[in-house]
Amino acid sequence: MIEFFHDVARELGQGRCPQIDESRAKGRPIIGHTCTFVPEEILMALDLTLFRIQGTQACETTIGDTYFGPFICSLPKALLQVAGEGRFRFLDGLVITPGCDSMRRLDECWRKAGEDIAGIVPAFFFHLGTPHKKEDFSIDFFTLELKRLIGALENQFSVTLSHRKLVRAIDLCNRSRDLLNRFQTLRNQNPGPVTGADAMAVFLAQGALNRETFNSRLEVLLEAAPTLPDKTSGKHRILLIGSAADDIDFIETIEGEQAVVVGDNLCVGIRPPEKHVRPGDDPVRALAAHYLERCRCPRMFGDFDRRKAALIELAKSAGADGIVFQNIRFCDLHGSENGLLEQTFEKMGFPCLRLEREYGPLAEAGRLRMRLGAFMERLPKGRRHET
Amino acid sequence: MRPEIREYPFDWMLWRTFLEASRMKRGTEKEYRTTLAKVPYFRGIVANILDAGKAGEAFLSLGAAYLDNIVHARERGLKNAVTTFCFSPALLYAMDVTPICLEVLTAMMALTYRRGTGEFLDYCNQIGFTETSCSSQRGALGAILAGVSSGVDLVLTDTPGVCDTNANAFAFAAAFLEKPFYQLDMPPRLTGKASRDYHRKDFRALIRFLEAHTGKPLDRDRLLMVIQEVETQDRLIAELEDMARLIPNPLPGIFQFFVYGSRFMFAGRPECTRVLEAMVDQGRANAAAGRAGMQNGEERLRALFCYIDHFTLNLRLWQFLEDHKITTCGNILSYIWSQRSPYVRLTGNMQEGYRLEKPDLDRMIDSLAEQNARMPMVKSIRGPYDHREMWLESTLALAGIYNIDFIVYNGTPGCRNTWGMVKLLARDTEAAGFPTYLMYADAFDDRVESWENTRARFEEFLRTRRLI
Repeated sequence: MIEFFHDVARELGQGRCPQIDESRAKGRPIIGHTCTFVPEEILMALDLTLFRIQGTQACETTIGDTYFGPFICSLPKALLQVAGEGRFRFLDGLVITPGCDSMRRLDECWRKAGEDIAGIVPAFFFHLGTPHKKEDFSIDFFTLELKRLIGALENQFSVTLSHRKLVRAIDLCNRSRDLLNRFQTLRNQNPGPVTGADAMAVFLAQGALNRETFNSRLEVLLEAAPTLPDKTSGKHRILLIGSAADDIDFIETIEGEQAVVVGDNLCVGIRPPEKHVRPGDDPVRALAAHYLERCRCPRMFGDFDRRKAALIELAKSAGADGIVFQNIRFCDLHGSENGLLEQTFEKMGFPCLRLEREYGPLAEAGRLRMRLGAFMERLPKGRRHET
Repeated sequence: MRPEIREYPFDWMLWRTFLEASRMKRGTEKEYRTTLAKVPYFRGIVANILDAGKAGEAFLSLGAAYLDNIVHARERGLKNAVTTFCFSPALLYAMDVTPICLEVLTAMMALTYRRGTGEFLDYCNQIGFTETSCSSQRGALGAILAGVSSGVDLVLTDTPGVCDTNANAFAFAAAFLEKPFYQLDMPPRLTGKASRDYHRKDFRALIRFLEAHTGKPLDRDRLLMVIQEVETQDRLIAELEDMARLIPNPLPGIFQFFVYGSRFMFAGRPECTRVLEAMVDQGRANAAAGRAGMQNGEERLRALFCYIDHFTLNLRLWQFLEDHKITTCGNILSYIWSQRSPYVRLTGNMQEGYRLEKPDLDRMIDSLAEQNARMPMVKSIRGPYDHREMWLESTLALAGIYNIDFIVYNGTPGCRNTWGMVKLLARDTEAAGFPTYLMYADAFDDRVESWENTRARFEEFLRTRRLI
């Protein structure tokens, strides 16, 4: 059951994706993106495919290092590497969001790499301004930015956004949100049938499948959950927090033989409880508000207390025994916030570990395993929170 | 942190140091020289500033006054706010809030103490801050977080959308110290209705925040006085920028440092105006005599620092430039984007500049919001570097306006926003005919690369490119 999601995620890691194949077969343009701020609903309503690009195929960052400076996180460098190797040529467009300073510079570095390596820059290339706060005026601005994006997409791909289609897309994504909330409840169970690696497979599949397929597959998994074997008993329950992670290998490294990741806040994934988007009179504004509100990334400045409360709630509801904070080197946003959160969680009695790593395939698994092994020895034998 | 570092508040230590230094020229020249010989290892900063004439004396007094305000704000019943170099303090002065600019204090320590800010930088890491974050905030912030300061009431920044590491330092401080925090957010485009509305609404929300925490409404007359002072300062800076176009440049290189240092500390206050007036007077005299502002009166090369300077002990960067007869024609910190400035006048893009307007309170607030949106870094490093009104455009235009021979980039390893694309910028400026040097030093922390090594690499660049 869960193997379906693993298969999709594995294929994705090798640069293959059912949704891409399907879209290409139908002649439907594919738009890449790098961050959580691009509302999929809009692309769906425009009959375009939104695809979150990954750098997991990168085995080195020589191309990335050519354009980025040395003090930059390995995630955008890995993305540029994959782009420079020509593996994103299937993209018809790309939307760059200033998620953080390193990621926003992917805009320039990709374009400039395109001057040296022919054919790697998609015809549609868009920089989506994304506020760092969620005041009314920020939502107004983001609404305008989304409308600017819609206009550009309509113009480029000769498509038209209709209110009816947008509301339908919102309904479909709201359905996903309901299912993902149920999925997180499943992760909270102990004993439970889902590991952190399984959860990551589901999250990755979400971007690799069309929404109808994803929803129906996840629904099947949830229905069958009571019959699935226990995978969590006797394992340390870990909450994993920090920089973007989009590869199952990394989660498996964290889990090893002794632990299970029962909750996370990793950019890719869910922010339980996922709330519905309520379209109202202006569905684009509703989306703008939702996407700014939903973000639990330290790039939203002045929102630390809310993030901290949400993570404490997640740790409690998932019955976490310990917390692993990780950041990709040069990710000061997560790295520093991890320092603050570590103090909070340690005071609450949760053993914590802070790791600094490289992105995805560039991470040094041996060193991480050694530190994780030592951390597991710190964790209590009995579980702190039974659910 | 060593126990002796905790013995005195760091801001009090700096205040006493700057206060005594600012009094050194009150006697005779002989007394000054005798006293100078007794100043320990930081004699160089005292001499480099005071030997720059009346402007230097005024600048040192300004530094002492700034520190005096920080140390005594609470005694005087004023709130203070930790803030950043690219956040104009003008509004704060209009609202009786004492600014504590982290980068200014970090630079003061780096320029004055042989130990620099190392202990405070490391303290930040000790309590959870990343070692890869920017040293410009972390130096002074470490002291504040360690409780070795006069205390903090509010935390303010304006770098979300411009510089993560800067904004993150303030977010960390606010959470760690549990202090009220406001951050102005900057959209990726400088001009246009959407960005303008955003700047203005955010700025008004900042004023409401300050009113709520000081208990005082913004006073129209106070704001008017501050804006009038800023206008005067802009006029003086524009004249200095115009003078720097002359060949030879009649301004001593250190004047650029005085320009931005004064603005960061006292924009909107007469203390800043006095320093600027002294510089203009000295510049006019040199220009009338056709004399270069350099110590030896000769200008061999003209450099543009497209980002920031290097704040190593005793202002050795400026001495190095003097030694090679290199005039610095400003950097991202020193330029203003007023419509009076040569940049805006000569490029003709008036929207890119700001104009201070005073007919009513709303217009004053709007124009201050637009000025704040054009502070260093905030103005030109918010969107993609090669977009309109951004870093490449302004760097190339300034390089042309000032007839420069080469461009230098220096920052800190924490500067994610520029290290993400500075290689691209250098490629473009080289293509435009300007030899461009990327310094890998840390402007505020010699432990990353010693000054001696930085100097050697800089000279290597100058020799390799046959500039010297």
